[in-house]
Amino acid sequence: MKIGLFVPCYVDALYPEVGVSTLKLLRSLGLDVEYPERQTCCGQPMGNAGFEKMAVPLAKKYDELFRSYDYVVAPSASCAAYVRCFHPQLLGAKDKVCEAAGKTVDLVEFLHDILKVESLPAYFPHKVSVHNSCHGVRELGLSSPSERNIPRFNKIIDLLRLVEGIEVVEPERPDECCGFGGMFSVEETAVSARMGLDKVRRHMATGAEYITGPDSSCLMHMQGVAEKQGLGIKFIHVAQILTSTR
Amino acid sequence: MSTQHSKAAAAYLRDEAVVTRHDQTFFAVRQKRDRMAQALPEWEQLRETADQIKRHTATHLAQYLEQFEANATRNGVHVHWAADAAEYNSIVYDILRSHDVKKVVKSKSMLTEECHLNSSLEAKGIEVVETDLGERILQMMQLAPSHIVMPALHVHREDIGDCFRSKIADYDEIAKGYAAISPEPHDENDPTFLTYVARMHLRRQFMEAGAGMTGANFGVAATGDVVVCTNEGNADMSTSIPRLHIVSMGIEKLIPDLSSLAVFQRLLARCGTGQETTVYTSQFRGPRPGGEMHIILVDNGRSEILGNPEHWQTLKCMRCGACMNTCPVYRRSAGYSYTYFIPGPIGINLGMLRNPKTYSDNVSACSLCCSCDNVCPVRVDLSSQVYRWRQQLDSLGRADEMKKFMSGGMSLLFNHPLFYKLALRLSPLVNWLPSSLLNSRFNPWASGHKMMKFPKKSFHELWKKL
Amino acid sequence: MEETMSTKEAILSRLRSNTRETYDMPSLKALHAITYPDPVEEFKTKAQTVGGARLLEAKKGDDLNALICQIYSDAGIIASNLPGVEAQLNPDTVAQAQDLETADVGVIQGHIGVAENACVWIPQTMKERAVCFASQRLVILLSKENIVNNMHEAYARIEQSDEYFCDYKFGTFISGPSKTADIEGALVYGAQAARAVTIVLF
Repeated sequence: MKIGLFVPCYVDALYPEVGVSTLKLLRSLGLDVEYPERQTCCGQPMGNAGFEKMAVPLAKKYDELFRSYDYVVAPSASCAAYVRCFHPQLLGAKDKVCEAAGKTVDLVEFLHDILKVESLPAYFPHKVSVHNSCHGVRELGLSSPSERNIPRFNKIIDLLRLVEGIEVVEPERPDECCGFGGMFSVEETAVSARMGLDKVRRHMATGAEYITGPDSSCLMHMQGVAEKQGLGIKFIHVAQILTSTR
Repeated sequence: MSTQHSKAAAAYLRDEAVVTRHDQTFFAVRQKRDRMAQALPEWEQLRETADQIKRHTATHLAQYLEQFEANATRNGVHVHWAADAAEYNSIVYDILRSHDVKKVVKSKSMLTEECHLNSSLEAKGIEVVETDLGERILQMMQLAPSHIVMPALHVHREDIGDCFRSKIADYDEIAKGYAAISPEPHDENDPTFLTYVARMHLRRQFMEAGAGMTGANFGVAATGDVVVCTNEGNADMSTSIPRLHIVSMGIEKLIPDLSSLAVFQRLLARCGTGQETTVYTSQFRGPRPGGEMHIILVDNGRSEILGNPEHWQTLKCMRCGACMNTCPVYRRSAGYSYTYFIPGPIGINLGMLRNPKTYSDNVSACSLCCSCDNVCPVRVDLSSQVYRWRQQLDSLGRADEMKKFMSGGMSLLFNHPLFYKLALRLSPLVNWLPSSLLNSRFNPWASGHKMMKFPKKSFHELWKKL
Repeated sequence: MEETMSTKEAILSRLRSNTRETYDMPSLKALHAITYPDPVEEFKTKAQTVGGARLLEAKKGDDLNALICQIYSDAGIIASNLPGVEAQLNPDTVAQAQDLETADVGVIQGHIGVAENACVWIPQTMKERAVCFASQRLVILLSKENIVNNMHEAYARIEQSDEYFCDYKFGTFISGPSKTADIEGALVYGAQAARAVTIVLF
């Protein structure tokens, strides 16, 4: 199985350790992983801001770079969701491209649904509160949305439970938005910051030491809010926990 | 450049406690809805069916409207057609004038808000009395609704008490009557007491009114019935005492038959207020003995919405308000932050359909969390529609310049891998910028966040060594 | 009148020309709505929890007036057109609906009870239906045999029956006393219509 690693722009620039953990994790599972170096961004920031046209060349480029892989794995639920749910319509039916979109998965769903990982040599003796990112929940189906009457599941928690020593909890309102929303956070600054603060406080109310999730963008937003407010809680991406050892 | 919504929201958010209360009040309604959803094994199937019936009806609307009109007419109802708000208002006025009506009692109707009926009638000397408690409170306080189902939940009891004491002429007499039936001492702003005051006040209005007006939750094509759901019974009081009943109905309220009605009756209250049912689900098939019933079918832009390939599904909406209750932005910014009279996810979309240039300020009020899509009983694709409106803002001349600039910058960067790599190398330099610059008004991120620290090396630089 | 016609035609023609793809009506047969092992028990529970009504079980042949007296011992003016009920006001013969505002207890007949939500179908069987709403308190009589599981079953009965909407063109589902939560979300019984409801199950 040939895997293309997609490390979205902001992870690349701000959270390279998340990319490093992802790459190490995939290799440790015996996979042939490549990182196409000319990759940049999936185009979501522009699309959500209302400039989808600017995302079209990026979607095209993405498809060229990744179409030959069996799977494209990204340690970022929201970016994986944008590629899978929006790239096909961005490129339109006339281009017969966009093969990569259907093969793009978030790291959690790749491990959970495709590799069906049942054990990991990971050790993380801490209490963590799981952040269920909106696009992970409602676009990728990483967990059952609280609004719907469907059987309950949570793929993030399933994976974290494989880690030795960990205590996994969820906050009250387990899938309410943290308020990042890409450029929403710079256009609706007051609402966004309040949503972030409410979310961080609910995570903290669980008594967790860390907030973890499959999406660094939510974590980045919450971390910025928490630090601005002087709230002492740590942030860590799921990939980093899954590669933690003694 | 900020939108009207973001500015109004920022002002509202200054009072942390008020926001907490507003958020908790409406999230509690969302949780009640969740319990209703979990209690029915067929819940998702019910939503799917409702969605399909509405799609079907909306795309066969002309035929159902004709069927509805024929049946209602056969039942002895006068059916009128109004192309827009002005025509609607004048039809209502003509009916009232021909019956020499001086006072109208009316139950809640978002359509009459949409058409500004009350002010139009009042300007012509007809007194209009809202009879839904929340709407009556707002009417007396001269406020607009802040939510479509629970319009006055943001008003505090003290202010309602003050309003009643100053505006209800026989307040003292009513208070005395209350003391007789409930002798224990009570707070003058106690909700039970204030509801009693409103009850007695409104009962007098029902007795005196010359006509009752209602909206319509559903119009049943196969029978010509109009169905109105309330908890207070105010629609029934409005129509069982005055002899003249006028129904205002948006043409999208039609459903095919009584089997369909069962589907929607089951969803409406469960989604809207988290109840199994409203207390009253009343089915009007014709006038009362010796009375008269009129139905006004109002278009006011709806037939044009049907032709909009990206947004026609808003016609499925049955105004339950569930999308507002779940919307994290609505709960923290409240109804008045929106510039359209319907707030929340459906309001953003309906406002844009009304007039995209006038109401584009609400399009920012969405973090694209998609929760609204999941609570909507008829599965309107609300968040996707907001996303699509954003794509049109630039051509409407309503795009945010800062966002456009940022998107353009990103576009340049991301389309040129060499620039991108260079930027990655230089990004740690941001850490060395003086905080006065980082925290300036040119960096809106810094208003709510501490600036992130860029690592020494990006993944692009690190991966080869792994 | 001509203008009205042209408005109608304009609306209909806009709708026709703006309809793009069309969708079929789904079959409702596939919808498996909730049913209960004992719908009567479910109705009794829901009437009290959901509806906020009182519930009284009686036997066929029990004296109605004694029952009403037992339910509302302080009853003032009673309004009803039901045979056997001693009433001071008769909604069939009052001069105007306004007269029923003085009714303390209205006694009416329920035709269908719905287990899932405690709704009781009250077709209009009196000249002035204000008795169902303007009375301060209500007594609704209902036969256990007429309790169904859910609204689908209830509307199917209404649709199939030729008993309803004949003399009077109105019917309503009532699930309990009038209520509101419009003041700060606090639940209060007794908004505009009846402030208490007792359902008598036979």
